[in-house]
Amino acid sequence: MAELTYREAVAAGIAQEMERDERVVFLGEDVAAAGGVFKTTIGLLEKFGPRRVRDTPISEQAIVGAAMGAAMTGLRPIAEIMFSDFFAVCWDMIANEIAKARYMCAGQLTLPLVIRTANGSGSRFGAQHSQSVENWAMAVPGLKVVAPSTPADVKGLLAAAVRDPDPVIFFEHKGLYATKGEVPDGEYVDQLGTAKVLRQGSDATIVALAAMVPRALQAAQRLEQEGISATVVDLRSLVPLDTRTLLAETKKTGRLYTVEENPRLCGWGAEIASIVAEEAFYDLDGPIVRITTPHVPLPAADALEDNTVPTVERIVETIRRTAG
Amino acid sequence: MASDDIDRSTRLALYRSQVEIRLLEKRAYDLFLQNLVKGTSHLSLGQEAVAAGFATAMRPDDYTYCTYRGHSHTLARGAPMVGVLGELMGRRCGLMGGKGGSMHLTSVPHGVMGSYAIVGAHLPVAAGAAWSAQLRGSGQVAVCFFGDGTCNIGAFHEALNFAAVWKLPVIFACENNQYMEYTPIRSVTAVQHPAADRAAAYGLERIIVDGNDADAVYRKARESIEKARGGGGPSLIEAMTYRTSGHSRADPAKYRPPGELEEWTKRDPIALYRARLLELGFDEGDLRAVDSAVQRAVDEATEGAKASPPPALEVISRDLWADGGSSWRN
Amino acid sequence: MDVVMPQLGETVKEGTVTAWHKKPGEKVLAGERLFEVTTDKVDTEVPAPASGVLAQIFVAEGDTVPVGARLALIEEEAGAAAAEGSRLSPVVRKLLDEHGLDPAQIRGTGAEGRITRRDVLERLERHKAPADEPRRMALSKIRKRTAEQMALSWRTIPHVLQAVEVDFHAVDQARGALTYLPFVAVAVCKALAEFPAVNATFEGDSLLLHPRVNLGIAVDLGAEGLIVPVVKDAAQKKLPELARAIQALAEKARASRLVPDDLTEATYTISNSGRFGTLLTAPIINPPQVAILSTDAVVKKPVVVGDAVVVRPVGVLAQSFDHRAFDGAYSAAFLRRLKQILESENWSAALASRDAEGA
Repeated sequence: MAELTYREAVAAGIAQEMERDERVVFLGEDVAAAGGVFKTTIGLLEKFGPRRVRDTPISEQAIVGAAMGAAMTGLRPIAEIMFSDFFAVCWDMIANEIAKARYMCAGQLTLPLVIRTANGSGSRFGAQHSQSVENWAMAVPGLKVVAPSTPADVKGLLAAAVRDPDPVIFFEHKGLYATKGEVPDGEYVDQLGTAKVLRQGSDATIVALAAMVPRALQAAQRLEQEGISATVVDLRSLVPLDTRTLLAETKKTGRLYTVEENPRLCGWGAEIASIVAEEAFYDLDGPIVRITTPHVPLPAADALEDNTVPTVERIVETIRRTAG
Repeated sequence: MASDDIDRSTRLALYRSQVEIRLLEKRAYDLFLQNLVKGTSHLSLGQEAVAAGFATAMRPDDYTYCTYRGHSHTLARGAPMVGVLGELMGRRCGLMGGKGGSMHLTSVPHGVMGSYAIVGAHLPVAAGAAWSAQLRGSGQVAVCFFGDGTCNIGAFHEALNFAAVWKLPVIFACENNQYMEYTPIRSVTAVQHPAADRAAAYGLERIIVDGNDADAVYRKARESIEKARGGGGPSLIEAMTYRTSGHSRADPAKYRPPGELEEWTKRDPIALYRARLLELGFDEGDLRAVDSAVQRAVDEATEGAKASPPPALEVISRDLWADGGSSWRN
Repeated sequence: MDVVMPQLGETVKEGTVTAWHKKPGEKVLAGERLFEVTTDKVDTEVPAPASGVLAQIFVAEGDTVPVGARLALIEEEAGAAAAEGSRLSPVVRKLLDEHGLDPAQIRGTGAEGRITRRDVLERLERHKAPADEPRRMALSKIRKRTAEQMALSWRTIPHVLQAVEVDFHAVDQARGALTYLPFVAVAVCKALAEFPAVNATFEGDSLLLHPRVNLGIAVDLGAEGLIVPVVKDAAQKKLPELARAIQALAEKARASRLVPDDLTEATYTISNSGRFGTLLTAPIINPPQVAILSTDAVVKKPVVVGDAVVVRPVGVLAQSFDHRAFDGAYSAAFLRRLKQILESENWSAALASRDAEGA
């Protein structure tokens, strides 16, 4: 085991896979020579050379389109889109082309590619550089969607994503890049579509993703002192979705809460709530409650941004108020 | 006439390819009017020489990327007629089993890596395939076909710049048929030649070719493909041509100025090529034999497609993922 | 909202209200037990179709009305259920039902006095007797009903038990993966044809001899009790179809999907205890039937055939019969015939046969 930061785990995960399989290549803006604007890909150019690690122009459509063309012709590309907000710039490539190509040609093409991106708020960059758009990707059939919360999960799930034969959108959280965690040594591959139960409780089940996971854990600790015992589930994958764990953990407590950084409407928690309400209705002891960012763009000022996205305090207060 | 750098069998292949496209597209049109071809269909009548010229110059393992007006390119690469017609008619024998339809014809075994319905989307994808070939050192090239209208969309710019900077083995072939859907291309483009006049912006040569002359297309295609294969980087070629049918469906194309269609019909690529072949000493009987053989093949393919049943409903949930399924949960 | 007489069977035209569980003016919750109905021989509890207040009752206990007739009126109040925090969540309802608890006996600690899941679980925990004291276990609905019927039968019918030992060798040779039950069922149907008084039901002081055999097959639902679904017109079915019909009914019973029509008009019952490994059972007759057959374990035993001792699969068939309907000699003759059929029928041919409809 080694202690790595979340950002170091990105480079470690990419390196592990590029080492293992020479078909894995990596492209993006400022990723090679500069090691990435978030310093997530330092050392890769030096290690693997300019044929396999390439800097591109500011051309999101070309970056993602080229990844698609390369993936369908024998390579396993990792493409970086610097900020997840920029998915809107190349959304045709992702939603119309990559997601649908295999289905439309009845399996003649396979696209083993990964698009990794920096998602989420907390950096005071303003509304167009702080969004959580994992729900956009979840809504398009044909995309797998992953959002790790720890360095170990970054490395393990990135490796799994690269090895997956289908397109995977890998949402790193820019607010977590500096966080530290234990990462297994040696070759480490996790499994897409598996949630993790980080804490077991008996009164409420809290499901969270990425940067909301540490907040959910802190909230659970505070609630414990007030006599409310909460389970915390790190969802990790939106597609494939670990419905088995969600349903089992909700049945144990009878109460479900989601903590979502995406804006309210059609956030990923709405789908979870719908599935649980339909399939575990008779095990519910109360309404399913979603704790989300309100349905507004994110304001820039630190005092504003910090109080728009769900805080530990808001999570605690909501569960305390509704748990009875 | 240029010196005879094109051998007899190549010329016959060029002729046959154009006739195949012409007769199949005509059949597709008839079937559409009979409501056997559903949805929409974008025909390449009048543009046969471009598809034939390039395909004949390509290696079997080269990649073709084309637009929703892609029946011609799909056929020219050797995809079976019954598969093309079957796909248009939504039948089980279709190239993609009815999953994709007219605008998305794909036949990977023939190098047709998709027909793309969003304008410009496939240009970066073609660049990516070229990058893959370059990295793998396979010598393959990608040829990317698109219309004049595509030259005004953002992805065109990104792909051209990208390919030029990375010196990718991709040929961007613009079929300038004078119309962006229903609008004359000149009225919506800042330059006269939507592709060729922008080549300089990417450090590329300005190349305009007569798109209705199969030999001219073939020569230019061969030259640019060889250049790309040899590491010389991408090319942007503007082929001047004309579509004698409407943009799609049964568009009667009333937006054409009077006399324009007649002018271009005089320059019908197949009529031109026929005349040239006869001039070069080809036997008229041989040419007519090709015509009959192709007609027979189209007729057979038509019957085959008509006899094929609709796809089984269970394919609705198949082939989203590499494992053949579409499950998103456990 | 009107409460109407439900249709509790395809051929049922009327019903009798036997009990009201709420009085006019009382609050009612949707799904709560509201009244009981009897139609022919089926007793059913009917839940309230909506929440609110039971405003009026139009049909008194003991009255018989046609299907669809208005029985009562519930005035629905949107907030009625919410009033004193008597909103029960899905899991609370489930737990209350499973354990036969009355919400009125549970203190709610949730918001506005709501009964929470924890409240129910704690109540169950509190009332769980310590290990060395007797534990009270409420009877489920099905078990209560069974208990009443058993007691009634025993009180009113003079039961006599007779048994025969059957060599199942011939059946064993042919049955393959099937159990012995369908073979016994076929043999019973054949024997009943020759002993019509056994396939009879009591009506007042006469016996109604039935031309058709509606065979009740007792199904054990474990902790839930016993239920007896009926294979209608069993004598008309060939062995394979009868086997399937019995299997299907048993599955329906275990999945709680039986409808009232499945439970009525049996003329004879078989109670299959075979898999419990018992030698002999004295079953209790289901009135108004006049007999019931128990099939117990079939085990290999040494038997005498001719003058040799051979090993054969042997099982006891025991019939309890109503001594008011016929006497020992008649019953014994029936049993002997049953034994004879089981031991000498061409079972391979029976297995290969198909019904007239080509089933």
